Amino acid sequence: MGVASHDTYLHRESVIHRWSPRLKLVSLLVLMFAFATVRQPILIPWMLGLAVGLYLLSGLPLAFLGQRLSYPGLFVLALVVLLPLTVGDTVLGQWGWLTLRQEGLEATLLIVGRFLSILTLGFILLGTTPFLTLLQAMRSLGLPTILADMTLLSYRYLFEIAAMLATMQQAMGLRGFGQGRQRWLRVNSQALQQLAMLAGNLLIRSYEQSERVYKAMRLRGYGYGVKRPKPSLADQPSPLSWGLAGGVLAAAVGLVVAEGLLRP
Amino acid sequence: MHIPDGILPAQVCAAGYAITGLATWYSLRQINSRPDPTAEIPKASLLTAAFFVASSIYIPVPPASVHLILNGLLGVMLGYFAFPAILIGLFFQALVIGHGGITTLGVNAAMMGIPAMLAYHIFQSRHTLGKVLTEPTRTGLFAFLGGTLGLGIAALIFLALIIFNIPAELDAGAERAAILALSIAHVPLALIEGLFTAMLVLFVRRVKPELLEG
Repeated sequence: MGVASHDTYLHRESVIHRWSPRLKLVSLLVLMFAFATVRQPILIPWMLGLAVGLYLLSGLPLAFLGQRLSYPGLFVLALVVLLPLTVGDTVLGQWGWLTLRQEGLEATLLIVGRFLSILTLGFILLGTTPFLTLLQAMRSLGLPTILADMTLLSYRYLFEIAAMLATMQQAMGLRGFGQGRQRWLRVNSQALQQLAMLAGNLLIRSYEQSERVYKAMRLRGYGYGVKRPKPSLADQPSPLSWGLAGGVLAAAVGLVVAEGLLRP
Repeated sequence: MHIPDGILPAQVCAAGYAITGLATWYSLRQINSRPDPTAEIPKASLLTAAFFVASSIYIPVPPASVHLILNGLLGVMLGYFAFPAILIGLFFQALVIGHGGITTLGVNAAMMGIPAMLAYHIFQSRHTLGKVLTEPTRTGLFAFLGGTLGLGIAALIFLALIIFNIPAELDAGAERAAILALSIAHVPLALIEGLFTAMLVLFVRRVKPELLEG
């Protein structure tokens, strides 16, 4: 798992970067859900076009998208790869035992199209908004304090704990873990026990660290009922932000209406 | 075992968010009813991060390996904090590695979080056995049940959601057969997860028993 990589934010001078975080979050989420409603194959190019258009506006490099699409892309491919060959009655072509079917192919195109479009919007959101700004926008939209605090604290220590696990695994490897002969399709109970102790140690170390963190937070006034200022997203949305939000929301409504009209 | 964006229709995604909203509200209500809810936030947060990291540990099953979900273990150790912890962990996974998705966050959180809450209640019920079994045996046994059922139920929900929502023209008989075959394939994984949970809980019980008091 690639937990060692930090914030996905990439600084650029684009209109999407300047878009008010709160409006950006709401508009892109609405558009993602509008994409999820699409079932008509004819709407796939429109959906992909909107995602590509917004990505180009964001000024993010193509490599950024390519890197991040590869892992989830493989997962989706594994889920849908058999559909065009197994689902449906309308045969489009046959090569020996391989039969390409229209209904399965349409279902695959639909899933892959929705997946690519929604994920692209997700990466636009994350690539153009620093994580802490995104969290602040979520708080201003009503995210409960406990969830916001937990998210912040978990994020703060995530990479530290990942580094701790890497060190512990390296130490285990240097002491010979995983070097013995292993039998196929068998779980070595000793290895399982050692890995359980590794994970247990990680939890205990994190717990002990959390006690120190809590004491430090208490000394700084955490939990004394001090009223926190409402997250001030000081920047009042500019006309450009409102314009972008309006355009994206109109596109979302357009897609949903088109889907409703085209549905047989 | 995360459902990515684009697989499920919008109605299912919206229903997932509704269920997750309800479960989060219930969990937060339970947390806020404690004498000092803020005292446990740092513990729950760092353990959330630790669970997220620990889920990257692979169990070697030559010639491949399996990775753990740990939702049952989260329930056993974090109690009512387990659901918010899973929600946050999945949010990070969607952000950091693009695993799961934003529109499917609600569905994924409900799929893993509700079995985690069930695992918590299973583990808490170990006290009801009284002196029928020794304390370590009871702890190990109920941790095993929590870990196994946590993953088992989540896997069933996952398979049902995928099979009922992907194929365009798959007939009901084929759907039932696919669910049955895939469920059977997940039984060994659920048993490994249960065993791992029991071993870890017994280790924590020896070294840091207060961690199991949540």
